[in-house]
Amino acid sequence: MSVAQRAMGTIRRRTRVTQVGSYVLLVLLILSFVLPLFYLVNTSLKSFQEYSINPNGLVQDPQWANFPAAWEKGKFGTYFLNTLLYTFAGAGGVTLLSMLIGFPLGRGYISRPRIWYGVLASFLFLPSAIVAQYQLLIAMGLYNTRIGYIVILAIGVGIGPLLVAGFSQSVPREIDEAAAMDGASYGRYLWTFALPLMKPALATVFLLSAVAIWNDIILGTILFADPGLWPVATGLNAFKGVNTTDWPLLAAATIIVAIPLIALYVFVQRYLVNAVVGAIKG
Amino acid sequence: MTNATALFPFRRRGALRITFYGAWIPILFFLFVPAVITFVLSFTDIRRTPRLPWAWVGFDNYTDFFNAGRLTSSLTVIQNTLVYAGLTVLVGCGLSLGIALLLNKPLKGRTFGRAVVFMPTILGVTVIGLIWSIIFSVYGPIQGLLGWFGTRSNFFGDPKIAFYLVIFVVIWGSLGTTTIIFLAGLQAIPAELYEVAAIDGASPRQAFRHITWPLLAPTFTTNLLLSVIGGLQGYSMIYVLMGTGRPYTETLGMAVFSAGFGSGTTTQGFAAAVAMIQFVLVGVIAMVVLSVLRRREVKL
Repeated sequence: MSVAQRAMGTIRRRTRVTQVGSYVLLVLLILSFVLPLFYLVNTSLKSFQEYSINPNGLVQDPQWANFPAAWEKGKFGTYFLNTLLYTFAGAGGVTLLSMLIGFPLGRGYISRPRIWYGVLASFLFLPSAIVAQYQLLIAMGLYNTRIGYIVILAIGVGIGPLLVAGFSQSVPREIDEAAAMDGASYGRYLWTFALPLMKPALATVFLLSAVAIWNDIILGTILFADPGLWPVATGLNAFKGVNTTDWPLLAAATIIVAIPLIALYVFVQRYLVNAVVGAIKG
Repeated sequence: MTNATALFPFRRRGALRITFYGAWIPILFFLFVPAVITFVLSFTDIRRTPRLPWAWVGFDNYTDFFNAGRLTSSLTVIQNTLVYAGLTVLVGCGLSLGIALLLNKPLKGRTFGRAVVFMPTILGVTVIGLIWSIIFSVYGPIQGLLGWFGTRSNFFGDPKIAFYLVIFVVIWGSLGTTTIIFLAGLQAIPAELYEVAAIDGASPRQAFRHITWPLLAPTFTTNLLLSVIGGLQGYSMIYVLMGTGRPYTETLGMAVFSAGFGSGTTTQGFAAAVAMIQFVLVGVIAMVVLSVLRRREVKL
């Protein structure tokens, strides 16, 4: 065996050892994220009696009725309808504002772009304005209304305009010129040409803000007095406050809220991960 | 500037102005104006209940925050904010860098690993908070585990450890985002660099030190800065897990919420003052972190 061959053998052995180590770590990593969910499902299927006797063992007698019970008791039907409305309206507003601001900015149609970019970046540092937003909505008569909540959600554009601005640079300029030559106005061009071409970026903005809005707990809690208007996260949190000791019922309610998110995630996972990466880089 | 706008090919600018500036109006009105109102309100004693009379109180809210009776709890709040931000940044970024390095290896099942690590981002604070409330419940599996060692805990009910448990849950829930960003940074590093290094006989450790670490610097800056700001501002998980009015888990962000919307006697004017104190703290720390990271990037 030559020196080179022996060296290769050592490297290969070393690689194999590190590879086993890597797989061990990977399994541990996956378990640390899957086991909590598994425990949640396991708990949600127990009767209160079974949980009292054996809280941590595998479920013996699955109680599927926990789910309809939690659904009824937590009024999740109402909350889901509310959240669907808030999510579509709020994320739709975020997407529209991001497009109207980000697109001409990214295309260089706005003078002094650096100032506007600076303003967009300053969103990250603004002081916590929940008190002032609350007082403002009260003064306008929009406190405890769906429209007031949706407006506050829709103006939370975050990095949306920056994302749109970044993507707009990949749309060829010739299209603008051709549209202008054909006599289209900017408004018409924006609607008929730019909108379809910007779809990937707009979908990303919509998706990211939809996830954020779906999971909002703070604004939903402070901007409504009437529980009938609550979004689902606020409803779930209140459900926890009332049913602190009935862990199986609470677990079932948690799953009810989580299932649509997990189902959506299975479909858009790859896309969403790319969206986050694109959002940060842009 | 003028030649940038000269490119505009359409005949009239009216629609551009209306759509662009029009879109800024609601943002100005409901985001920037409230930021200014927050500053103004911090000099009043306005309350949560609508239509109560209010008065100007000068700097009273600020001096209240630092006055002798409240100083201990105020300092605790500031200390908690720094501990919360420090731990979520250091442990969070450290762990996610490790996870990203692991998931960047050609292992079977790494796509699934990536999907699973990112999942909490989708689930959101309320669901995550409930999952861990159940796990850390008095009869839960961790209690069972502790039982084998002949000990037990009240978890979130124990003022000594509650805050650290909250931080743990926050990190668990936010690892996905930071990991994904690191992973993107790693995948942008050309593979040839590693091949060349391997031919030159560089050990994996050396390759990490001289290729991965310097080339990951911009990603590091992004991740660290976002984590620092998020760590100094974030409080929704504290609210979900602990509710309002628990001094030992209160950070500045949570204190704004507790003072403004909790069941205590504090006014929303006071809450606004706390928000301004937090604003200054976030600004100063973010600037320092950014300049340190930029200098480090240049050096590498």
